[in-house]
Amino acid sequence: MRLLARVTLLVLLTSACTGDSRTPLVIYSPHGRDLLTLLERRFERLHPDVDVRWLDMGSQEVYDRLRSERANAQADVWFGGPATIFARGAHDSLLEPFRPTWAGAIGPHGRGPGDRYFAAYETPAVIVYAEQAVKPEEAPRDWDDLLDPRWKGKVLIRDPLASGTMRAVWGMIIERGLKHTGDTAAGFQWLRRLDAQTKEYVLNGPLLDQKIVRQEGLVTIWDLPDILLNRRDGLQLGYVFPKSGTPVIEDAIGVVRGARHRAQADAFVEYVGSVEAQLLATREAYRLPARLDLPLDSLPPWAREVRRVMKVADVDWDVLAERGAEWMRYWDENVRGKGEGRERAGP
Amino acid sequence: MNARLGPTAAAALTVLLAWLVLYPILIVVADAAAGGGDAVTRFVTRPGEWGALWASLWISLASVALAAAIGVPLAFLFEWLEFPGRKTLGSLIALPAVLPPFVGVIAFLFLYGESGFVARAVQAVLGLTRPPWRLQGAGAILLVHAYSMYVYFYLLARAGLAKLDASLIEAAQALGAGRWDTLSRVTLPLLRPALGGAGLLVFMAALGSFSAPYVFGGGFRVMTTQIVATKLNGELPLAMVETAALALVAVVGFAVLRRTEGNDPLIALGKGTAPRRRPIRRPGVRGFATAAGWLFAVLLLLPHLTLALVSLVPYGSWTTETLPPVLSLGNYQRLFGEPERLRPLVNSLWMATVSTFAALVLALAAGALIGRRRPREAAGRFRGAIETLVALPWALPGTVFAIALAATFSVSSPITLRWVLVGTVVLLPLAYLVRNLPVTGRAVLAGYRQLDPALEEAAASLGAGWWGVFRRVTLPLLRPALAAGASLAFVAALGDFVTSIVLYTYDNRPISIEIMSSLRVSELGVAAAFGVILMVVSGLVLGVGARR
Repeated sequence: MRLLARVTLLVLLTSACTGDSRTPLVIYSPHGRDLLTLLERRFERLHPDVDVRWLDMGSQEVYDRLRSERANAQADVWFGGPATIFARGAHDSLLEPFRPTWAGAIGPHGRGPGDRYFAAYETPAVIVYAEQAVKPEEAPRDWDDLLDPRWKGKVLIRDPLASGTMRAVWGMIIERGLKHTGDTAAGFQWLRRLDAQTKEYVLNGPLLDQKIVRQEGLVTIWDLPDILLNRRDGLQLGYVFPKSGTPVIEDAIGVVRGARHRAQADAFVEYVGSVEAQLLATREAYRLPARLDLPLDSLPPWAREVRRVMKVADVDWDVLAERGAEWMRYWDENVRGKGEGRERAGP
Repeated sequence: MNARLGPTAAAALTVLLAWLVLYPILIVVADAAAGGGDAVTRFVTRPGEWGALWASLWISLASVALAAAIGVPLAFLFEWLEFPGRKTLGSLIALPAVLPPFVGVIAFLFLYGESGFVARAVQAVLGLTRPPWRLQGAGAILLVHAYSMYVYFYLLARAGLAKLDASLIEAAQALGAGRWDTLSRVTLPLLRPALGGAGLLVFMAALGSFSAPYVFGGGFRVMTTQIVATKLNGELPLAMVETAALALVAVVGFAVLRRTEGNDPLIALGKGTAPRRRPIRRPGVRGFATAAGWLFAVLLLLPHLTLALVSLVPYGSWTTETLPPVLSLGNYQRLFGEPERLRPLVNSLWMATVSTFAALVLALAAGALIGRRRPREAAGRFRGAIETLVALPWALPGTVFAIALAATFSVSSPITLRWVLVGTVVLLPLAYLVRNLPVTGRAVLAGYRQLDPALEEAAASLGAGWWGVFRRVTLPLLRPALAAGASLAFVAALGDFVTSIVLYTYDNRPISIEIMSSLRVSELGVAAAFGVILMVVSGLVLGVGARR
């Protein structure tokens, strides 16, 4: 008891001693420590009176949080996540209109209705393999290769319900079927076959990377910046751009409705799309800039290489934003763990 | 306590508890109902929902059985027998409680998962080409539950045994009862409040458990993971219906289990002293017991050791080897090198401390008013309501309770007792307080029930005032129960994950959120280092709590 009292006193004293006169700017983002720390430091150097505070969470979680904080918004900026999720956010009145000066340099798919969000980066999905166990020439070349009997029980998949990247890939598959047959059944049939190949649905990206490196599975699907950062840090992961095209997510940014520090929020959004910050993110954190007006030779070699070899899949993002939730629900109930010839796990 | 003040105070406490515990849930139900009956129809017609509900139920019951099977024999062993190393082992055995749920699950993954130490070792020894098992599904969830929840039985049963009156057992033996008869007809009935309380805690904890089903469930869904999946998919009204269904199951389970606790006036008159510990005399048996005890302790400690080991692994250096090839203190240096990273630790400490104190105060108030075997008539009328309110938060999954609080306190309407607390640093400790009420409440109420009113009456007749009796008689008698309840509550708040993820703000983000963020950015080593720190702090607190 006495110990608890002492701890309380100590804690109250220490917490009372920390003061900061700068204006806080709160950012909710799934972009991770590397990019966020980078932008935090640079932005604070430009605006010494601002204290950038970011909270890192999944893109679907950001949406969830903003929705529950609607009455007393805590965040100023929503930074990162597929434009499809931002579209739902805009629909739910979670975003404030703001048009940065660089808005004109963004492609039409990356602009939200009513200037509520704009794409900051383009994030492609790639097929990933364990470099220590799979030779580059043996790796799957395209989505359909993942259904090859060779990979049966060797595919790991990031739990698609919580992940913006995986939702985009699932959406692309279903839309592809929809285009060819006029029905969603073809896409779900494909996903059912993938489910039969899948050994496990993994909780989050890092666990997925770890499991691939430790060869619990040999191939997976994940987003390019994460893989490149991991490669830089020594994880032996290889990646392939699917031949038939890959969905490229418009990773957006917007000002939160009811932001307490509106001026600073605007300034941050303005900064993220500036040429300097776009190139910084590209060079140091493997982000593909969404701005179309950057000269190709200002990009680092890896980004130029990506632009050269990557084929962008044609995805109707509006359809995905509208029907995505319904499709994911159907997948979760009728496809997950029910693929043909699937080895049943469990008790 | 003034006899006239009793009923008023009891009524006030009932209202306060109802506002804290019940009101937010009613708000959620009302909000969900406002969303339309469509969600209810969808819930009722989908077989997946019923499957998840059934899975929640049987997993919880199995968890109670497993936790009791491990915890109760251990409590007897450590309370009744004397052998070398008993004291040290006795505290070590409570250590599963110091593993924060999410980190504990990750530790299990590294240990027993298919590329964990144990699986790899077995694979290497037997020369297998594939991992010997997969840690998935109901079996894996039950393993984690049994491991983390037997502590409730162990600690509460030990507290109960410590209050046991040896003279009752001696009387039974003198009357010719054999060992088995004494156990089944005297000792166990006397322990009923403690065992019933522990069973209730485990059932509710298992029903609301999230981390283990989330990580190991795979296609096997329980209600908590089903709710999160629904919520993540943006179907909030359906998620609320699912929550209501789960709460209903919990309330029914609660009502059934509470009957097993009993209210026999003969229970634990608590005079005299607990039976003296019997030393094991035969050296062979003693050596065996000691060795078995240590072996068991090591088994229980393996997840902690795994965590410590992973915290020493530099980023990305450990792939397919059985043991990590490089070890360094780099992760700890990163952690202590950046003051921003230490901030969550401070936040967690103050929030856990404040919420535990508040929960204790409320529990003591409840105990003083309605905890005695023969409460005053008028105050006694509130007994059922207060007990139910105190236990209710266990029945509700953390995330949803958090959402309920967020929904309730995101509206400014003082007339309906609602203020905007969302986004302030107050809301999260408030949630911890509510979530801690059951653990402090059950412990303190069970403690009060074992109090002999004659002692307090004697003190009062000798001229002690209400405060004097409380401070010098009641409180010291309640100390084991208070310490057990407070330490468990503190540790639960310190490691809380599901509530925090909804209610934290930048200014009070707790350590579990920082661990989650570290995991998200692949810093498994840093996450493990945070886990180790959390574990050590929790261990110290529980060590203090278990000492008598």
